[in-house]
Amino acid sequence: MSTQVHASIDEATVRQISEELGEPEWLLETRLDALEALDELAFPDVIQTPGRKWTNLEDLDYEELVDPLDATEEKDQVGPEEIDVLPFAEAVEEHGDLLEEYFGSVVDPEKNYLTALSTALFTTGTVIHVPEGVDAEDVKIRTTMTSRSLFNYTLVVAEESSSVTILERQETAEDVDGDRYYSGITEVIAAENSYVQYGDLQDLDETTYTYSLREADVDTYATTSWIECNVGSKLTKSSVESHLNGDSAETKIVGAFYGHNDQHFDVSARVWHNAEHTTADLVTRGVIDDKARSVYEGVQDVGREAWDTNSYQRENTLMLSDESEADASPKLIINNHDTEASHSATVGQVSEEDMFYMTSRALPERTARNMLVEGFYVPVFEEIEVEELREDLKGRIHDRLQARE
Amino acid sequence: MSSEDLQDTDTEARFEFKKEESSAFKTEKGLTEETIRVISDDKDEPEWMLERRLRALEQFQQMPMPTDWPGQPDLSEVDIDEIVPYIRPDIETRGGAENWEDLPEEIQDTFDKLGIPEAEKNALSGVGAQYESEIVYQNMQEQWEEKGVIFCDMDKAVQEHEELVREYFMTKCVPPSDNKFAALHGAIWSGGSFVYIPEDTTVNMPVQAYFRMNSEGMGQFEHTLIIAEENSEVHYIEGCSAPKYSAFNLHSGGVEVFVKEGAHVQYSTVQNWSKNTYNLNTKRAIVEKDGTMEWVSGSMGSKATMLYPCTILKGPGATDNHITIAFAGEGQNIDTGAKVYHNAPNTKSTIESKSISKDGGRTNYRGLVHIADGAENSSTAVECDALMFDNESTSDTMPYMEIEESKVDVAHEATVGKIGDEDVFYLQSRGLDDDDAKQMIVAGFIEPITEELPIEYAVELNRLIELEMEGSLG
Repeated sequence: MSTQVHASIDEATVRQISEELGEPEWLLETRLDALEALDELAFPDVIQTPGRKWTNLEDLDYEELVDPLDATEEKDQVGPEEIDVLPFAEAVEEHGDLLEEYFGSVVDPEKNYLTALSTALFTTGTVIHVPEGVDAEDVKIRTTMTSRSLFNYTLVVAEESSSVTILERQETAEDVDGDRYYSGITEVIAAENSYVQYGDLQDLDETTYTYSLREADVDTYATTSWIECNVGSKLTKSSVESHLNGDSAETKIVGAFYGHNDQHFDVSARVWHNAEHTTADLVTRGVIDDKARSVYEGVQDVGREAWDTNSYQRENTLMLSDESEADASPKLIINNHDTEASHSATVGQVSEEDMFYMTSRALPERTARNMLVEGFYVPVFEEIEVEELREDLKGRIHDRLQARE
Repeated sequence: MSSEDLQDTDTEARFEFKKEESSAFKTEKGLTEETIRVISDDKDEPEWMLERRLRALEQFQQMPMPTDWPGQPDLSEVDIDEIVPYIRPDIETRGGAENWEDLPEEIQDTFDKLGIPEAEKNALSGVGAQYESEIVYQNMQEQWEEKGVIFCDMDKAVQEHEELVREYFMTKCVPPSDNKFAALHGAIWSGGSFVYIPEDTTVNMPVQAYFRMNSEGMGQFEHTLIIAEENSEVHYIEGCSAPKYSAFNLHSGGVEVFVKEGAHVQYSTVQNWSKNTYNLNTKRAIVEKDGTMEWVSGSMGSKATMLYPCTILKGPGATDNHITIAFAGEGQNIDTGAKVYHNAPNTKSTIESKSISKDGGRTNYRGLVHIADGAENSSTAVECDALMFDNESTSDTMPYMEIEESKVDVAHEATVGKIGDEDVFYLQSRGLDDDDAKQMIVAGFIEPITEELPIEYAVELNRLIELEMEGSLG
């Protein structure tokens, strides 16, 4: 990596960012506290087995990677009229109270080193407010990173009995010199009886390191559905987490990834059952090719007071290449016996029998394999209710398969 | 066989009693180089064994306590200095008695309460019984000796089979550097069994050894070494049961198993340590081409257990099966599982784990399956089932899978739940009361384990669990 002269991670930088966004004092304080905490904070939890760590986040030179004052992007933020979909700077002006109430309420800004870094340095984002009883669809956020680094913050507040479907995408524009870094934090507040569906397609170029953390606070009778698709980046550390804090709260976490070349995906899906009659369903499917590596962690945590819990998790990885590696660790943490919980994980390759069946019907081997791989994703496609996202993901998978040797 | 026939009214008395300890020799508390030299000297060991012990002690002192495992049991109360590492029962003959009758009455009585004479009569095989830290009783059948089978206590093996022990003892399988407690074990090990099965030999009787702790504040560091030569077959069983004490105990055993080409070893263990024991073991097997290793273990008792029997499938076509059951009651943290390394093509492994948690106890399955690049056509299937009785208890499952090879078949599944109300209702409607119904369901739940064990072990395990369910074991 070439050494570049850019702003460093210090107080002056943070003050400048906060000032440019016209932020109130409390938010500046939050940022400065996060900055100060950097020295003490550990990196996000990654899985360790005897003799190895599954992902080495400490090895990155963040001082070198980030260029906080030179963050540029192209952003589309659109949504229907009856709800607010605001760029962060506007939200500071128009929705100060809402921000003050919810900022940092679901994702602890000082949860780990990378969340604190993101909190201190973010320059852009979106605030979505769905008023009580309003049903909204087609909220779209499209971010194209044009700089070396970008820190993004998204807040979704869905009031009582409202519903909203949000689709987010991240891409990178033309090459910049050296490696890049994209960090995104998403907080979702799903109030009583609300429904939030949040889909994301991460398609950054393969020089970009990315950290993403999404957490939802799910209230009584509310549902949060996450769809997390990872296709791009050089290294991804992504976590999607639901806290089922109200009775009968539900969550679904659907994940899909496709790694090739030397991509490294470290994806986690976690759910905390903190109340009675809650339900969780975690479904992740991924393909790895070439020298790619996937690391999956799924956690189902059933608390002492979570009576009558239902919690299911399944993860399947398909290996297309002998050079690739697939690691998985689905975890159950159960503190209440009134629970029906299960998890499963499998790793395998395209079935030889299926291949034989298709080639014996005159399909060329390559076509047959590609069809089977696309077929492997069908259970995930079926879970994705947002057609646009489903078609996008299908397209990206199809392109990637076509590009195979 | 009905449960009536198996009901022994004296069951509780069998498990809850302790003996006045009588020792010919006790080392000072605390662990120093001097302690190691005394132990080694007293055992009249060759120089190389002393050197290995001292090296292990050095490693032990340098290694950190395992503290960074997610959700691991609290080991902060493990104070090595409080443990008298070596105690020998006061008996006339070094290296054990020839016959049961030659044993001191007190020791006979101890084993009687554990039902060992029955086990001996019924199983008609060798009994190696470890009372405190040394084998005090051995009974080997002549037909074995004729075949070249060796079954003796580990201390005797150091003297009489020096070359074999020197080659295999903590060199290729479990080096002292493996973990802090393996290093501790390497420094102060004492007693245990040595089993050698020559080529093409089948030992069709289970080989049995019983372990026993009966001295306040002392540890047990027995070492078991099993070498099964090509195409041989053996089933080794160890059972443990310790009465309750108020001072804390540490058990840190070591097991090394070598399964040569085409050989088949089954290692079964039923453990019931007293509720103040820290049970921290290292057990490992290396399996060559077409060999088979089977671990069957029931973990009962102890304050905290950390035990993950490990198999390295080194040769093509090697197979490994794990069957484990864990039970955690009040104040217990049973953290156990399995590790399998697939390092060759066409290797297979299965892990079947069952756990029961009750009255605030915690069970955890912690397991690793590693398939190395090049281990083509390997398959592994892991199944964990947990049964919970109340919401004070905890049941966790933490499997890890590292798959570096694409031509594989890997599956892991786990379930957690409570006893089905419908099942209980069904049994009650047929005249069983609530407790009996639950006990019957539990007995059915653990059947995959009990059916692998000789009848008296299965009976004992079921009985132990019955006692645990009644909460009558302290």
